[in-house]
Amino acid sequence: MEQPRKPTSQVSSYCYQCVAGPDLLNVEVEDGVATQVRPSPAAAAVHPAGGKVCVKAFGLIQKTYNPNRILTPMKRSNPRKGRDEDPGFVAVSWDEALNTIGGKLATARDAGLTDSSGFPRVAASFGGGGTPTAYMGTFPAFLAAWGPVDMSFGSGQGVKCYHSEHLYGELWHRAFTVSPDTPLAELIISFGANVEASGGVCGVKRHADARARGVKRIQVEPHLSVTGGCSAQWVPIRPKTDPAFLFAMVHVLLHETDRSSLDISFLKDRTSSPYLIAPNGFYMRDPGSGKPLIWDVNTGKAVAFDKPDTDPALEGEFKVSGRETGPDDTVWNHKKVICRPAFAELVAHIRDYTPDWAADICDVSADTIRSVANQFVDHAHVGETIEIDGKMLPFRPVAISLGKTVNNGWGGYECCWARTLLACLVGGLEVPGGTLGTTVRLNRPADNRWTSVTPGPDGFMAYPMNPTKKGEWMSRSPARHAHRTLVPLAANSPWSQALGPTHLAWMMQKQGLEHLPEPTQPDVWFVYRTNPAISFWDTVAVSEAMAKFPFTVCFAYTRDETNHMADILLPECTDLEGLQLIRIGGSKYVEQFWEYSGFALRDPATEPQGEAKDFTWIATELADRTGLLKEYNAAITRGAAGVRLYGEGYDFSLDPDRAHGVEEIWDASCRAASAELTKGAENQGLDYYRKHGFRVRPFSKEQWYLYPELEARGLRFELPYQERLLRIGQELAARLHEHGITWWDRQLDEYEAMPSWHDLQGLWETALAEGFGVEIDDYPFWLLTARSMQYSWGGNAGIQMIHEVAGNIAGHGGVIMNPAAAARLHLAEGDLIEISSPLGKTKGAVVLRQGIRPDTLLMVGQFDHWATPFARDNKVPSMNALTPMMLELTDATGSGADLVKVAVQKIGGVT
Amino acid sequence: MTRWAIVADLNRCVGCQTCTAACKHSNATAPGIQWRKVLDVEAGVYPNVRRAFVPVGCMHCEDPPCLDVCPSTATDKREDGIVTIDYDLCIGCAYCAVACPYQARSRNDQVSSAYGKKAMRHEVLREDPGRIGVAQKCTFCVERIDQGLANGMVPGIDAAATPACVGSCIADALHFGDVDDPTSNVSKLLDENRHFRMHEDLGTGPGFFYLWDKLRDDDKPIEEAAMITAPTGSDAVGPVHQKSWDWRAAANFILGGTGSGLFVAAGVGALAGVGISLPVLVALALVAFGLFFVWLEIGRPWRFINVYFHVRRSWMTREAIAALPLFGFGLAGVVSASMPLLFAGAICGLIFVYCQARILLAAKGIPAWRHPLIVPLMVITGLAEGLGLFAIFAVFADVERSVMQALALGLPALIGLRHLAWRTYRHDLGAQGAPTATFKALDNSWLKLSLWHQLLPAGLAVAGLAAGWMLPALLVIASLLVVASGWIFKYTLITKAAFNQGYAVKRMPARGAGSSARGVKPGWALS
Repeated sequence: MEQPRKPTSQVSSYCYQCVAGPDLLNVEVEDGVATQVRPSPAAAAVHPAGGKVCVKAFGLIQKTYNPNRILTPMKRSNPRKGRDEDPGFVAVSWDEALNTIGGKLATARDAGLTDSSGFPRVAASFGGGGTPTAYMGTFPAFLAAWGPVDMSFGSGQGVKCYHSEHLYGELWHRAFTVSPDTPLAELIISFGANVEASGGVCGVKRHADARARGVKRIQVEPHLSVTGGCSAQWVPIRPKTDPAFLFAMVHVLLHETDRSSLDISFLKDRTSSPYLIAPNGFYMRDPGSGKPLIWDVNTGKAVAFDKPDTDPALEGEFKVSGRETGPDDTVWNHKKVICRPAFAELVAHIRDYTPDWAADICDVSADTIRSVANQFVDHAHVGETIEIDGKMLPFRPVAISLGKTVNNGWGGYECCWARTLLACLVGGLEVPGGTLGTTVRLNRPADNRWTSVTPGPDGFMAYPMNPTKKGEWMSRSPARHAHRTLVPLAANSPWSQALGPTHLAWMMQKQGLEHLPEPTQPDVWFVYRTNPAISFWDTVAVSEAMAKFPFTVCFAYTRDETNHMADILLPECTDLEGLQLIRIGGSKYVEQFWEYSGFALRDPATEPQGEAKDFTWIATELADRTGLLKEYNAAITRGAAGVRLYGEGYDFSLDPDRAHGVEEIWDASCRAASAELTKGAENQGLDYYRKHGFRVRPFSKEQWYLYPELEARGLRFELPYQERLLRIGQELAARLHEHGITWWDRQLDEYEAMPSWHDLQGLWETALAEGFGVEIDDYPFWLLTARSMQYSWGGNAGIQMIHEVAGNIAGHGGVIMNPAAAARLHLAEGDLIEISSPLGKTKGAVVLRQGIRPDTLLMVGQFDHWATPFARDNKVPSMNALTPMMLELTDATGSGADLVKVAVQKIGGVT
Repeated sequence: MTRWAIVADLNRCVGCQTCTAACKHSNATAPGIQWRKVLDVEAGVYPNVRRAFVPVGCMHCEDPPCLDVCPSTATDKREDGIVTIDYDLCIGCAYCAVACPYQARSRNDQVSSAYGKKAMRHEVLREDPGRIGVAQKCTFCVERIDQGLANGMVPGIDAAATPACVGSCIADALHFGDVDDPTSNVSKLLDENRHFRMHEDLGTGPGFFYLWDKLRDDDKPIEEAAMITAPTGSDAVGPVHQKSWDWRAAANFILGGTGSGLFVAAGVGALAGVGISLPVLVALALVAFGLFFVWLEIGRPWRFINVYFHVRRSWMTREAIAALPLFGFGLAGVVSASMPLLFAGAICGLIFVYCQARILLAAKGIPAWRHPLIVPLMVITGLAEGLGLFAIFAVFADVERSVMQALALGLPALIGLRHLAWRTYRHDLGAQGAPTATFKALDNSWLKLSLWHQLLPAGLAVAGLAAGWMLPALLVIASLLVVASGWIFKYTLITKAAFNQGYAVKRMPARGAGSSARGVKPGWALS
């Protein structure tokens, strides 16, 4: 029997490869070599998933010692760029590489921080959901020191994220991402949300616990995803028809269910339901205060919404006098006109969206839709309460979650609205058991949802919309995708650029849009942990665009499709080699609901391979070589590296005038973190975190829910009626038209007070047919994608072990197809087929699965690699090369959906 | 007593493969080798489809077929139920791999690196030459258990004393503990939930339990898993062609069977006064070549002597033992021209071919082999082939016509008997069910043991009796056909038709408030 090896040491680290992290782990190190990743037993008591990490973390050992790594700085020797050009990378010293970059940056700075179009001369693209910041050390401080940086060249933002949810979620309930309150939920209706693949360790654990408890999850999705497989019921809906299903659910609640089953007091007190709607569609307001009016049943009068001791009417018609304020402060004064409360408008709006109407659209029986809606009501427990941390809160254990493609592009608004509205109808928004937000990104501060709740107009939360009023609207955005010009909801936080229409930035590199500034190229483009050349859409066009960028710096792990176009490759310490402190806990993305918050250390488990350097060292060097050391140090001190270095009773500010070592910087950060957590009482530094791995303090569970904070502040959720959006939409239309921009008109239609149904399948088919001049009937299948837990986010396509274990899950490596559909085309398992959309072609092996609609194909993950070592040999197809970037398929929030119509043709026998 | 076991809650498992990866880390398994993995199983037809994720690996069976077959005693079972492999004893014959119905065992013949280039630093550090060329499988992380117990920990409760897969499971789907302890964590789970074990009908008594639903009032017996004709979506789920034994193993069954049969035929022929020295020497040579070929296949050929270590249970050991007197009596008989010695050798030939048949029978992982009727079929075809070969010798030795006539009568009789054995075997295999691909391979051979194919040699032999002057020629042709059809059958059986058991899920799990559903046995058929 093999003798067990004796570990020489355990090193603490974390895995934040996906947005569902971070999770804490230990690395076993033998003779200086990292050999194993293990769960963190110390974190078991504080981490929501018991200190476990998912399969991706186990790829980190191979990731560290992968022979395909770039281990020296390199420069391009072939000035021509393109897929077919050999970059001719040659090794150079760090000095030469950094001097070259420094020189380019200095030239750019001398020419002015922005170019002739007003765009930043420096651009940067980072990968999924901000997770690269957990690995880039103090680089954010360098960028902060630099000044304006264009982050609009996306790698998936807007087209591969929960985009509508990000924007509308933040608007309505500080919910950049939305989650069921899984530990308490009884019924979860999931429209394509693939939590078992993309919810991370916490998501998987919470849902597994919920299943053990007997939760009912209904998965509404065209294919039987991993999550569908783990659900109590699968409803195979026709792709992109989810709004009809959701509207019909709303219909059932409003037209087929007794009002007593709804949470009337929630609707009256915590939503805009009683606000009276004036003839032009805006609120009827008190002429004096400008406050929206409600109809008080007690007095039979219209009164301001915040008048105490009223009983607001939700339904009925009332003769009311008042003032209506439209776009650009247009005012209509009304005398005794008929007004209905927003709720009554909603009831009328939704009348025709019956389950029978939706059945034909969704290819789901009306009985099924009705049953799902009725279960939603039955499980809502309207009127019940539960004690959370000593406080009684409403208990509504029903929730709806939305997945990618449901939640972005056209139809995303409808789905988000209906989902959040359904929660409101039963009083289940931001209460225990119900539908919750998990993090904020567009509102500030971003580390606590409660403190981001600030009063705004009309009794709702404030929201930092981009201005649309005359004289305030920005005809020029500080980024190439025009997010501040086109998307008011994208707001203006450090995250806003990522929430803009990032594909416009790529599209405009090929063809500018009329009346927008000339779409220039950035003088310097930094790329880290992202590979838009394969992860974005129309990958050919994106690759061609980046090939034209004059100077690209890629922090490179291995060669890949994007750094194929780079001028300089810099090898940075990977996950297990670098040093960094990050914030953990509280409520974070996806399903990370902690009962603690604090900090965790990523301690190097092994020395850097080759000449790889710690990212903080690289950032410091760049700051030094660009003369920005003072600003850089100041940015770190302000907290740009994750923790502010000073506070009440403590100050670990960096000396601004000198370069600091990597450990020195993080030691100061650790001390400040200790002080922050102990209110200045303690200040243990790096050694403490090296020993313990992390440090936390309790985080009240009550803060998982926004309802108590809204109630305390007397605020309402801005539902069901979107008066504010209606107004800014009209203002935006006016501004754009004044500026001569008419190509955004279709998007302007989305600014409805209550969304109406649009034939989304028809919209796609028409756009593709007209855009490419094809007969859409020649493309009979809808092609979708799904996340893979083994691969998603982690840049793991080149990791052999990930590839190996992912192979145990069907669909990796091929195209999933229904056997009946395959039989009609005389296709068998393993046949090599060409899949073509109006835009392009790819090929892959047929994977037959019963769990997919016959009109749908599925490609798991994002592959199609042609440069990444190992991955390029696996010949795995991806839909990205087939999905076009089109204005017609861009919604008002600037996002699109992973959806395209395709044809298939057999090109070979069993592979 | 203690019996360590894993309980997998199918309601919880999401197929993330974290356990697969954690096992690879903990045990430093080579690329492509997974002691633990999670299957992705579909059941039903659109739109009524279920999907379940099913962890598999060594089941640490109560009655492990791998232990029975192991000729070297490398495989053992501890008192606590853990099935172990002694890498220093194992000869790498892979018999255990074909005997295991759970595809739990593998053999890695060379050091391999994930990227096929120079090994990475951690690979070099953790490389274990002792595991090359021998059987390997899940150990239940036995060293953790033993160390944990030695330090007062409770396996399954204390992470450090628990198998890595269980300790890493992010859904808490995997549990480890002592099922003999009624108060243990796993016993409690088994008491509170409905469960099954995989391939329980094979009588292996797996130490791996699958929870599929809570105990409910309307508890009903589990419906048998449906046999469907085609696995969809993942070849790993349905039966796959065994790769452990190739043409070299087939050659042992072909040459060993024919050689033994020839020896027996020669023994009978000696009674008729036919000179048998040459046939006996040829028989011995055939057997020797067969054994030589199989020796070429084993992973640790220079440990071949270990094949003799398990006479108590392994038919491979017994085959090797039978070969010794077979050669001894045979050679001595030829040298001394002693009829008793030659008869003794012939009896050893019978024993040898019987051992070979029992080798197949004991291979529980291969449905086409483990069928009881494989024994008479293998023995009879060996005898038929031997008689056929002996007839050829007889013709060329210019034996008396009466002997030739006797052979021409005996051959159809054995052909008939062989066909009967084949027919019974094939019919019964069809009734019991087997991998679809097995049936396809058995039935698509160009020369089969079926009636229509075997009428030809039988007819030729009989025709030879009728047309006297053509008897020698027809007898030779008939004999060649008998030998060829036997060899083709055995080659097909050992290689092409040797699909393994595959996996089966007796019941698709209830997911949360959902209901459970009938399971699936992908890639199987009745025919």
